[in-house]
Amino acid sequence: MKLRVLALVAGLALLSPAPLGASEFSGRFLLETHDGQRVNDESFQGKVRLMAFGYTYCPDVCPTALSTMAGALDLLGPKADQVVPLFVTVDPKRDTKAQLKDYMSAFGPRFIGLTGSQQMIDAAAKSFRVRYEIHQPTTKDSDHYLVDHSAGIYIMDRQGRLVVKMGHLATADELADRVRQVMDGE
Amino acid sequence: MRMDRRTLLIGGLALAAIPAHAAKVAQGLFPTQPPRPLPNIDIRDNQGQAAGVATWKGKPTLVNLWASWCLPCVAELPALDRLKPMIEPEGLRVVALCLDRSGAVGAVNTYARLGIRNLDVHVDHQRQAGEAFGAAVLPTTLLLDDQAREVARFVGGAAWDGQQAVALLRALIAGKPITPDLAPPLVRPTSNP
Repeated sequence: MKLRVLALVAGLALLSPAPLGASEFSGRFLLETHDGQRVNDESFQGKVRLMAFGYTYCPDVCPTALSTMAGALDLLGPKADQVVPLFVTVDPKRDTKAQLKDYMSAFGPRFIGLTGSQQMIDAAAKSFRVRYEIHQPTTKDSDHYLVDHSAGIYIMDRQGRLVVKMGHLATADELADRVRQVMDGE
Repeated sequence: MRMDRRTLLIGGLALAAIPAHAAKVAQGLFPTQPPRPLPNIDIRDNQGQAAGVATWKGKPTLVNLWASWCLPCVAELPALDRLKPMIEPEGLRVVALCLDRSGAVGAVNTYARLGIRNLDVHVDHQRQAGEAFGAAVLPTTLLLDDQAREVARFVGGAAWDGQQAVALLRALIAGKPITPDLAPPLVRPTSNP
């Protein structure tokens, strides 16, 4: 029940700020996969894309967005073959390709970690209107710092157009439902 | 309710406008009022035997939700491992529930890497725990009464064998109300465990 209330509150909260025009949201990106392959928003034509931004070094609590994505793929069964789950790190300094690859493997073989230069990541974040902020280290260990970012899962259709951003409290069931609707051409 | 929620979610483009801080999840100790029975999801032990909510009745229980990909979770496991033999004679059950998709393999490997000796392996066999228990972030630790009802949850990492955490858990064992002032301090890992 609490979850439902929270989901409702999150839903209401998102209606209150002045909505941005979809035109400000380009969804364009040019990044590299954890295997070193350059990809962009046109690379997965014909597949529904799920995309989340984040980092593997969550210092205090870790969002379960990728677990939710993995759970949704389970629920989709064979239809999951038509979906590409993507994860963009906003912390390329610590999230090396090897680290990303290892992290992705915890969620399933389909998961693709995306990284790039700071400029590439900044551009992708901007085009998805993702905000993140790297806090300066509080200790001498320069690898220990905090990254805030906006959470949630983007669903893009087979042509790469954004359909919806699910809030960070969305369940696997809700995500799978939405993906099915996208596949059915809603 | 379901349709309403979906309708709201469809308005999702506007969500892109919310500032980063809106995605933050509150951390700390949150009493659950009234106590909430937990759904009896499929939790197994290392041998694949049922080890879920139904087996947690009879005495208060601490249930720590963790995953091997969650650094702050892994960082607090050694404290839970030290806590278990210390607090169980006082009447508290200590359960570390692994949400890894690989099941027991992930838990066993992490235990081996960290030198965990006292915690038993519990796995979220059908990968339902996050949703069923309403945990949007990890680590989340549920405090249950002797009827396996959630009376409080702690979101974030804690030094579970520390003085303040032990005082909180003794209150749980004694059946005293769990109030926010009993919260142990939040702990952030200072290195990659």
